[in-house]
Amino acid sequence: MKLIRSIGAMALVCATGVLPVFAQKQAAPQPPKPQVSEATKQKAAEDNANPDAVVLADFQKRVDAYLAIHRDAAKGAASLKETNDPAQIKHAQEALAGKIRAARATAKPGDIMTPEIRNKFRRLMYPVVQGPAAQGTSGSAKAVKADVKDELKENREEQAEEGGKPVVLKVNATYPPDTPLPSTPPQMLMALPKLPEQLEYRIVGKNLIIRDIDANIIVDFVPNAIQ
Amino acid sequence: MRRVFFFVWIPVAVLCAMPAASVTAQTQAAAPAPQSVPAGKVLLPNKAGSIKFAVIGDTGTGDKHQLAVAKQLASTRSQFPFEFVVMVGDNIYGGNTAKDFDKKFATPYKPLLDGGVKFYAALGNHDDPSERFYKPFNMNGERYYSFKPADGVRFYALDSTYMDEKQLKWFEDQLKMSGSEWKVAFFHHPPYSSGETHGSDETLRTQLEPLFVKYGINVVLTGHEHFYERIKPQKGIAYFITGSSAKLREGNITPADFEAAGFDTGYTFMIVEVVGDDMFYQAMTDAGKTIDSGSIRRIGKVEPTPNRTSQPVVPTTGNGKKLPPAGDRK
Repeated sequence: MKLIRSIGAMALVCATGVLPVFAQKQAAPQPPKPQVSEATKQKAAEDNANPDAVVLADFQKRVDAYLAIHRDAAKGAASLKETNDPAQIKHAQEALAGKIRAARATAKPGDIMTPEIRNKFRRLMYPVVQGPAAQGTSGSAKAVKADVKDELKENREEQAEEGGKPVVLKVNATYPPDTPLPSTPPQMLMALPKLPEQLEYRIVGKNLIIRDIDANIIVDFVPNAIQ
Repeated sequence: MRRVFFFVWIPVAVLCAMPAASVTAQTQAAAPAPQSVPAGKVLLPNKAGSIKFAVIGDTGTGDKHQLAVAKQLASTRSQFPFEFVVMVGDNIYGGNTAKDFDKKFATPYKPLLDGGVKFYAALGNHDDPSERFYKPFNMNGERYYSFKPADGVRFYALDSTYMDEKQLKWFEDQLKMSGSEWKVAFFHHPPYSSGETHGSDETLRTQLEPLFVKYGINVVLTGHEHFYERIKPQKGIAYFITGSSAKLREGNITPADFEAAGFDTGYTFMIVEVVGDDMFYQAMTDAGKTIDSGSIRRIGKVEPTPNRTSQPVVPTTGNGKKLPPAGDRK
């Protein structure tokens, strides 16, 4: 009888370890709802296209416009060259950043990442982090999600270890050179539109930034990109 | 009742609470550790005129572990005069100011740099791509590049964080032009890994493996996982992970069919020697303990062959004998 009681108690202990998992599953945030403007809907109807495709084409157009500014600025700035002195790399980045800032003096958040582009990005990222159909090869969706979470955790740990200035989410602001550059999980990069080689995505906390690599500046960002 | 409590209750409760504990134990048991090899002893042939190099990964912390590995590396070089070091990414963690480059690269490897050793870096997910302009990394200002340190071997450094069409095309073009030399690819994310934290990067594998097979890549060197692992040849290609040259994830290796050897309880680096159609390797800890060694032999035709389905690579022990199964090498 005592043995039966004991086994019952053991089952209870194991069950209590399982219950929070179910609770977590139930509490998982819902995927963001699509937010598409009337203008986009109208354009999609005219082009016989999916509204999301119109949003992504708009993103591409805005990135191209930024790239034109970057290229113009790079023509007049000291170019990045191989050097033994890393400080020279920073100087070249700052010089280019100065020219880009001057050319985009009135740039503000949302110039590239418009509200509907932000919404689209959140929707693209949601399945990688939370959704039941996480991106990845067949049979490994759970592993992909775990990997993404591990990478994000690693970023937080690195930030805690290394310190550095907090990253201010501001268009045209320099990414603090003494602050770790958090990695963006490859699965997430696969889900997002490709960027030209001058730009990159980085995850800062729950936010996604677009960083100009050669100028080390924040081009635009998506607040609360990770839902 | 007390007996029931101690012999049934506690073990079950521990198993429920700590599923990872058994994994760690299995990993340690699977790690081959040639106990008889004296610390610091180089097992490679060390022949005059051979191509000698070292491999380090996930290095850029600037902490005591990086320094310890760097010290052992320099000490090993006094016996085994390698000419260059391959860095498989995460070269500079954290900030990337001039001070960081000093603390996390120039200072730890000063004895090697002063000795004329060249470093060739690949970019990891924690690296700023602007590192490609840092001359001591020998990246020629490129995110991906190739180099031929001597006749008989060619290296391809890839940026596995951004494996885009442009890079894949560049890689294929390079491979098409390659000759009959040894072809070694190195990059950060491992296509095969038994790591619990990250595991195999299957997407990358899908992108790269067909090119490896088609054009005869012989060896792939990676990091990202903070441990050492040698994978059983996959489609004839030898894969190594050396991601614990400054960071360590203890007990992170989980049992996998494709693992030939693994070590996740210490900081490591590799030394490698190419002698004709043989490539000899030795993995060591920061204390000079040998944790794995052996060789890879290229056999048969090694020209790029469009319809090739696998590379003829035969792993052998350092003395030329075929390796026994991983489970028998405790």
